[in-house]
Amino acid sequence: MPVRTWRTPLDIEKIKRPKAEIHIIKDQCKGCGFCIRFCPKNVLEESDETNERGVHPPRVVDEDRCVLCSFCTSICPDFAIFVVEKQCKDGC
Amino acid sequence: MTEKQESERKHGSEEIRMGVYVCHCGLNIAGSINCEQVSKFAATLPNVVLAKDNRYMCSDQGQELIKNDIREHKLNRVVVASCSPRLHEPTFRKACEEAGLNKYLFEMANIREQCSWVHLHDRKAATEKAEDLVKMAVAKAALCKPAEKIVVPVIRKALIIGGGVAGIQAALDLADTGYKVYLVEKEPSIGGRMAQIDKTYPTMDCSICILAPKMSDVGRHPNIELVTCSEVVDVKGYIGDFHVKVLKKPRYVTNDCTACGECAEVCPVINPNEFDVGLAIRHAIYTPFVQAVPSTYKIDMDLCLNKENIVICDKCIKTCEAHAINFEMKPETIELEVGTIIVATGADVFDPSSLPKYGYGKYPNVITSLEFERLINAGGPSTGHLVRLTDMQIPKRVAFIQCVGSRSKKSGRLYCSNVCCMNTIKDSLLIKEHWPETEIYVFYVDIRAYGKDFENLYQRARREGVRFIRGLPAEITEDTKTSNLWLVGENTLQKELYQINFGMVILSIGLEPREDSKKIQRLLTLSKTQDGFFMEAHPKLRPVDAATGGIFFAGCAESPKDIKDSVTQASAAAARAGILMAKGKVTVEAITPTCNHERCKACGLCVKACPYNALTLNEELKRIEIIEAACSGCGTCAAECPFGALTQKHFTDEQIFAQIDAVTEYNAEKKIVAFCCNWCAYAGADFAGVSRIQYPSNVRIIRTMCSGRVAPKFIERAFARGAATVLVAGCHLGDCHYIDANHYTQKRVERLWRKMEQEGLNKERLQLLWASAAEGERFASKIREMQPIIGEVTSREIERAKKAFEKVSSED
Repeated sequence: MPVRTWRTPLDIEKIKRPKAEIHIIKDQCKGCGFCIRFCPKNVLEESDETNERGVHPPRVVDEDRCVLCSFCTSICPDFAIFVVEKQCKDGC
Repeated sequence: MTEKQESERKHGSEEIRMGVYVCHCGLNIAGSINCEQVSKFAATLPNVVLAKDNRYMCSDQGQELIKNDIREHKLNRVVVASCSPRLHEPTFRKACEEAGLNKYLFEMANIREQCSWVHLHDRKAATEKAEDLVKMAVAKAALCKPAEKIVVPVIRKALIIGGGVAGIQAALDLADTGYKVYLVEKEPSIGGRMAQIDKTYPTMDCSICILAPKMSDVGRHPNIELVTCSEVVDVKGYIGDFHVKVLKKPRYVTNDCTACGECAEVCPVINPNEFDVGLAIRHAIYTPFVQAVPSTYKIDMDLCLNKENIVICDKCIKTCEAHAINFEMKPETIELEVGTIIVATGADVFDPSSLPKYGYGKYPNVITSLEFERLINAGGPSTGHLVRLTDMQIPKRVAFIQCVGSRSKKSGRLYCSNVCCMNTIKDSLLIKEHWPETEIYVFYVDIRAYGKDFENLYQRARREGVRFIRGLPAEITEDTKTSNLWLVGENTLQKELYQINFGMVILSIGLEPREDSKKIQRLLTLSKTQDGFFMEAHPKLRPVDAATGGIFFAGCAESPKDIKDSVTQASAAAARAGILMAKGKVTVEAITPTCNHERCKACGLCVKACPYNALTLNEELKRIEIIEAACSGCGTCAAECPFGALTQKHFTDEQIFAQIDAVTEYNAEKKIVAFCCNWCAYAGADFAGVSRIQYPSNVRIIRTMCSGRVAPKFIERAFARGAATVLVAGCHLGDCHYIDANHYTQKRVERLWRKMEQEGLNKERLQLLWASAAEGERFASKIREMQPIIGEVTSREIERAKKAFEKVSSED
């Protein structure tokens, strides 16, 4: 249906989307960049800092964009990244 | 006639025995033509064995006369000089056939509409012209060949493109009749626009409640094969035998889906739902609406996280108990063979953001009528509450603005969209029903409540206090504090300005041709009207047929219409398609092209010229193949052939040359040789006769089915024979009865004009006219305009033209 949609859907607030908490174990990263390349929501990017292994580990750009697919965890060869659901105290 | 005799005649070795009949038509012809003299003249012409004049040739007695003479005098050609062949050719053809003479051996001379009626006061000139017209008909008749109509079988299956209410109705009607139907829908569900609408006018029925049962009937019907998420990508063939390719996009969900909806709950991707005009969300795995048929969910791969065979997110797969999700599904091409096609592709809605004065897209409380339908619908995003999108409050004062995108030069849509007036009246009553205190204003140009029970509904709205103000607002501005909207304009009935404050403004948007209708147009070789909707074969008498045989229209694809009209047209289209399939065969007039394969160089020019794809180039055999059933008989291909290999049956090169030669035998330097297409220019000349519009008598009309049949060599022949002027006349560009064949006419005439200039000839001697069947005066004034040109042509110029074109025309 070729309809131009420009409005904010009325029920957008009602959709409960789990918030993600991304943990990166920086010194375990060897800089292969898989997590950055394969993230479907482009949540990660290469950081400027250098870790113990002398590479640039990833950095989170926008945690809100993460949909908790955990694909980064699955493909990381060095077990250096994992995602958990943020436990909200204030009912977020 | 026995078969043996018939076959003897077909071989054409026998001597030609022609009978000529000159009709008086009471005094209609005899009043200004000396019919007896014409008949005596006819008797002197070659091949004519008898010539008679009679008061009324079309009467039973006149027809009996022909039949008796055919039997008694062994006539094998008949010429009747009377009215227009557009009127009585079928009558006389039938009479000939009853006496055993093939109908293609009959020819007519039009001495009423194109002679006696247009030269009422010059008996001598009219008689002379009538003699010429008879001479032309006799010359052509001598070269006529017997022919049989071509019979083509019709596959008893139908394809319906588009699953809106029109497509649904047509599918059900045809399937109930017993035919196999393929219903192809682009979206994941059938239902179309009607599924989006809350209530229908004038009965205020719930739209989806009356549509959903029909949708499930389609889903269940044993004769209907529903093909969703699919598009027609290729159509080959012709009436009765279409080969269609349909690209079926994968759903990534199998038929095992139970539509439980668990998958959508866990899907992390959200997007505005197109069905709710973006007012509600959907997930990447979704069904557009609850009543969808088929109810199977679908994964929108543009949104899904899984790309290029990498399963990144498997939440839906894990949740689905029916194991219905399959990311390995691939697009497939389905090949269908059908006899008929119904085009029910529907319409788009106008996008009002192109009109900045109404502020749509800028002011959130300005909504479209389609958004209104979703808001007022109990199953919609606001559960039926008409809320302002800025503060979710019910507005106290509401305005409807009519004709947004319709009847306006500025928005480029000049036509009336047909449904918006009544839709607004219905919407206003819906508001009154739920929130009676709401003040409602309707700003309109005209209120068109033309249909059954429409006026009642309009009066009811007025009684309930809806205020109708004539005069659209010039501008909408927003009060930034309250987000209310100011409408400023002129009430043209009271001749006073208004400035009113509203909580919400609803733009009553019009309908427009679908963006992708061009694709369907190209695939099916359809024509469009000026408005961009598909054009029917005849606006009055064949309103659901396309010009291309075997194709029919239903619903908004043909023009904007409401649900009732769409359903009516759908049933009509189903009936029309049913006629073809019930008969199981179609007959095609024997005016198709024939190819002399020895002359053919397989250049393919004719293939390009054919508007119906009836010619194909067989690359292997280096020859042209003619699909007669697809041919409509315009003859454009024959005119395009540079080698004289193609010709059109019953309008052969020889026949048209014979007519030209007959005209130019005497006094050619004073005559206009006119080529007129059957549908517009010839009919226009007939109309001049019916209206008794008088014009000079020196024009001689040669009829072809289309002006596209007029090969340059015909025009050249006329000049080579010393004709003063030549007129080529056809339908207006865009109105051609053979889609766009008259563009070839234009190109050829323009080429000849250049050639004439190069030869130092006055190019005004060749005239081109576009005249419709109703433009008798236009035709007549063209003939009048051409008189001074003829007056100025000197005998030296005639000689020069003869010389310039002599060589070309003698080659054939």
